[in-house]
Amino acid sequence: MKAKAIAMVLVGGRGTRLQPITRRMAKPAVSFGGKYKLIDFVLSNLTNAAIDTVGVITQYEPHSLMDYIEHGSTWDLDLPDGGIHFLTPYTSYEGDVWQKGTAHAIRQHMRFIRSHDPEYVLILSGDHIYKMDYNHLIDVHAESGADFTISAFSPHDSLSRYGVLNVDDDNRVRDFEEKPKKPEGHYASMGVYVFNTEALKRILTDSLEEGFDFGKDIIPRALDEGYTINAYHFDGYFRDVGTIESLFEANMDLIDHPELLKLHDYKELPVYTRSSDLPPHHITTKEPLADVLIGDGCLVSGKIRRSILSNGVVVKDGAHVENSVLFQGATIGEGAVLKNAMILEDTLVMPGTELVYDEVEVIDNDRLWKLGGDGDA
Amino acid sequence: MRDLFAVVDASSRDNFEKLTLHRMPGALPFAGKFRLIDFTLSNLKHAHVTNVAIFPSGNYRSLQDHIGSGKRWHLDRRRDGLFILPPKNMMLPLGDMLTFQRMHEHIEYFRRSTQKYVLITQASLVWNVDFQAMLDAHVASQADISEVMTPYSRLKTFILSKDLLLKYILDYDALPYKTMNDLVWRSPKVRVNTITHEGYTRLIDEPSVYLRANLDMLAFEIGSTIFRNDRPIVSKEKTAPPARYSDASTVTNSMVSSGSYIRGHIEKSIIGRDVIIKEGAHVKNSFVMNNAVVERGAVLDHVILDKDTVVKADTIVEGTIDSPYVTEKGQIITDQSDLRVLIVASEANPYVKTGGLADVIEGLSRALSKKGVDTNVVIPLYKSIKDNYAETYQYVASETFDFGGEPRKIRIYTLLREKVRYYFIEYFPFFEREETYGYEDDCLRFAFFNYAVYQSFKHIGPFDLLHLNDWHTGLLPGLMQKSEDRIPTLLTIHNIDYQGQCDASLLHESRPNALIPTVNFLETGISEASKLSTVSETYRDELRYDYYGGSLTPLLLKRERDFHGVLNGLPKKYSPVNDPNVFSPYDRQSIGKKSENKLHLQEKMQLSLGVEKFTLGMVSRITEQKGFPILIPALSTMLERYKALQFVLLGSGEDRYIESLRELEKAHPGRVRLNIGFDAANPAHIYAGADAFLMPSRVEPCGLSQMIAMRYGTPPIARKTGGLADSIVDYDPITRYGTGFTFFNYDAEALAARIDDAYKVFHEHKDEWRRIMDAGMRADFSIERQAQKMLEIYQSMV
Repeated sequence: MKAKAIAMVLVGGRGTRLQPITRRMAKPAVSFGGKYKLIDFVLSNLTNAAIDTVGVITQYEPHSLMDYIEHGSTWDLDLPDGGIHFLTPYTSYEGDVWQKGTAHAIRQHMRFIRSHDPEYVLILSGDHIYKMDYNHLIDVHAESGADFTISAFSPHDSLSRYGVLNVDDDNRVRDFEEKPKKPEGHYASMGVYVFNTEALKRILTDSLEEGFDFGKDIIPRALDEGYTINAYHFDGYFRDVGTIESLFEANMDLIDHPELLKLHDYKELPVYTRSSDLPPHHITTKEPLADVLIGDGCLVSGKIRRSILSNGVVVKDGAHVENSVLFQGATIGEGAVLKNAMILEDTLVMPGTELVYDEVEVIDNDRLWKLGGDGDA
Repeated sequence: MRDLFAVVDASSRDNFEKLTLHRMPGALPFAGKFRLIDFTLSNLKHAHVTNVAIFPSGNYRSLQDHIGSGKRWHLDRRRDGLFILPPKNMMLPLGDMLTFQRMHEHIEYFRRSTQKYVLITQASLVWNVDFQAMLDAHVASQADISEVMTPYSRLKTFILSKDLLLKYILDYDALPYKTMNDLVWRSPKVRVNTITHEGYTRLIDEPSVYLRANLDMLAFEIGSTIFRNDRPIVSKEKTAPPARYSDASTVTNSMVSSGSYIRGHIEKSIIGRDVIIKEGAHVKNSFVMNNAVVERGAVLDHVILDKDTVVKADTIVEGTIDSPYVTEKGQIITDQSDLRVLIVASEANPYVKTGGLADVIEGLSRALSKKGVDTNVVIPLYKSIKDNYAETYQYVASETFDFGGEPRKIRIYTLLREKVRYYFIEYFPFFEREETYGYEDDCLRFAFFNYAVYQSFKHIGPFDLLHLNDWHTGLLPGLMQKSEDRIPTLLTIHNIDYQGQCDASLLHESRPNALIPTVNFLETGISEASKLSTVSETYRDELRYDYYGGSLTPLLLKRERDFHGVLNGLPKKYSPVNDPNVFSPYDRQSIGKKSENKLHLQEKMQLSLGVEKFTLGMVSRITEQKGFPILIPALSTMLERYKALQFVLLGSGEDRYIESLRELEKAHPGRVRLNIGFDAANPAHIYAGADAFLMPSRVEPCGLSQMIAMRYGTPPIARKTGGLADSIVDYDPITRYGTGFTFFNYDAEALAARIDDAYKVFHEHKDEWRRIMDAGMRADFSIERQAQKMLEIYQSMV
């Protein structure tokens, strides 16, 4: 059966500004909110929209992500026809096809798109935090009669981080500029596109020699060449967490503004994540917990305020954790004090350690090793 | 593992009542995010067992839903994999364990399995074990069968070769043993090896064990051996965000699952997924299942809150560790303090008593009142009550209404006794008679009583709930359904043999539209009442079979989801230390004095004297139902076999049995004594003086005698039916624990075999006999427990 829409998910982002979190993993594999990885949001949106043919285009550090997604059964995407396909860079007789940009990556896998021959192709990034009804996006796009639609939002921070759209009264995109110094317009591109398959084929065949990115190259040129481009206004919570600060902020949004992402109100648009096989967390003493999110398998006896404890975290007696995000498997020893700290996976904070900061700091075992060394010296 | 396949028994009868109304025990949630069967399946996964058959019974939809294709446990295989093998013959009653006969229904599965050994285990075991090591131990032992046990208890878990099991299965109809448990216990021929598993293990078979085991997970030294990193417990994949705590929450030693939102206080509890605990709510020593909501200011202590339950603001719900308060799935629990209940019955102690019903009404109403329920009882004003209590009650009102085409005037009287409000309905033509029952117009009399109670509501109402008892009140549910305020009705069946069946013409005028020639009061009540209950859980289950339920079985099956079993409690007055009729009073500490009572009994009954004699006692109506057809041949065999065996009976009843018993008495002078007619001797002499108490009943809905016997330190030898099955823990020589001796098959051999077992323990293992006596004396048969269960049902109705 011919699919109405298939999705191409780009998961190759290196997340350079998220170092050291992304040292050993692609950005979509970064943990979020105590239980999730960034990729969960896109895959859950897809399964919630019953779009069940998904090409996951990998490049940078793909292994942890592939291990995590496995056959896609967590998102009901382990299907005999359709389901999840990992699309890896390959070499053919045409030469090296290492991906040079987002559009280039899609073009490289045109054969995959053709084999499914859908009406629409949804192009997504695997590292965004948002809950979205893709069917509505596709319906609005189909009605608009445009060649493709760019999903856009009003950012809470500076527009100049994003691709900025100038939109007329009919939601037609009139102008587009990637990361402008002086942005004109209100909407920023989310990097979420829906293309008529025919238009996608044409655009990518015509214009590949001149550029490789949708934002930087393809969209401006498509505008020049007279393609009709529609803007879809998404008014839900959307974050493209490019930096440590924005990742931390998005985590804290879950505590301070649970109404934004509505993680706890998840019956309609649930976010699926791989099950941990851990028992529920265990809180052993009567230390106060205030404004805290706690995942499975944690063992908590310290005092915790405005923090997120991911699966398998241990906080021992007398420890004091405030304004912090503890990634999976972190252990906080007796009497340690944490403030504005982001403790990465499996980090062991020795008893009595003080990690108190005014601005968020990322802590892992390497960093602690160095701190320890400094302390000794 | 290439050489082991597994049979998971999920078929055994349980004592979970409401908890298993919508699911089987194996599908019960555990420790927040797991189900009981996850433990066994995870253990199998870690031992690389890839051929697993689950034998379910009852409602296994939720189990099926949970397990799916078995993928999570690596059981979605091309070869072997997971098999769910449901019962074929639905008429086979559930026993303690999967029978060979049930396995035979799926003989093809066993034939096709290629593995050399088979593990038979349970779906409701909480443990983390290495089955591979157990198989190695079994093979090394060279025994026929290995039984896996803890140091204290049997786990219904066995390892044996497939060929041997196949032999038993194929031979099931000729084999004297129905299950592996029986076989290992009784067969002299098999070589049995015991594998003792020292780690934490619980076979979850009733609510108190269930709650305890859940709370055990909060002890680090236990929880960490069950949830270990090298052998994680795997469950169905579910999605929920991390649990969330507001700054108003306090939490002490508790486990909380994902998706929950905690704003109140939690102490020593397990909280499932997506639970909401609101501000000021207190949850202590409880297990709160998925999606439950505890509103502001509510207090829970020792509660098992089933899924989707809502506890309304400021409601207090309390149970105990031995008898947790259990809610029904989706129930809404409101404050019980203003619950006003009317218990309607044909008799109530001390005002009128012909049988056990009067005692139950008295005890239950008093216990309910103690629990804060506004408890009211209404009975007809019989002549005997007038004769004895006329000075104590006061006039309330009179009411005239039409019945049978003519106006009738009733008067209502009342009195308060031990915080229970009693109402009496006076109507001369029907109740001003010498006897309580036994008149030709009984149907008409009690039909009138139903109408009269209904008409009296304007004076004594309103009520939140009517608790009706037996056929005498069977028309009230229909009347309530037709009335405007539609008060919910609970009908308790104490005795299904009396149904109030009569010709409709008798009531013709009161039921002008009746088309059916006969009216059956009980049947009408069963079909119209909001909820039903009977006097034990096993009897409730037995009524599913027409052998017990007769013509009412199809109707009861239809009402199955509203049908509860609650074991009657035993009043406190039955106590060997306070009972004035006990010759030499005693309690657990002074149990030695029981032998003085024995000598006194022997002397009084002219039995030959001697503490070394094994004296069997019995207090019973002498009828077929009470098991006399099997008792007489069994006794005669055993009296021949053991010269030190004595039998004393107090009772009255049918001549055909009395004659045969007389012959036994003649044949064994000084060893068999009959006291025919209930006045002949005091039953307390037998309860206190006998060594063991016989109750081989064919049918026994509840039975109080076995509870009295146990409380008096006299272990019962009884058939495993109805209330006997629910109150007696069968003595198991392997674990050396039990409160009596029970047998299942209704035949003389089975009874004789159990008397033989008891005789041997009595003579050869005196310490163990003491332990059985002591365990029985400690057992909790309190009316408080019964009242709490009733209250749970009440609260699910209002």
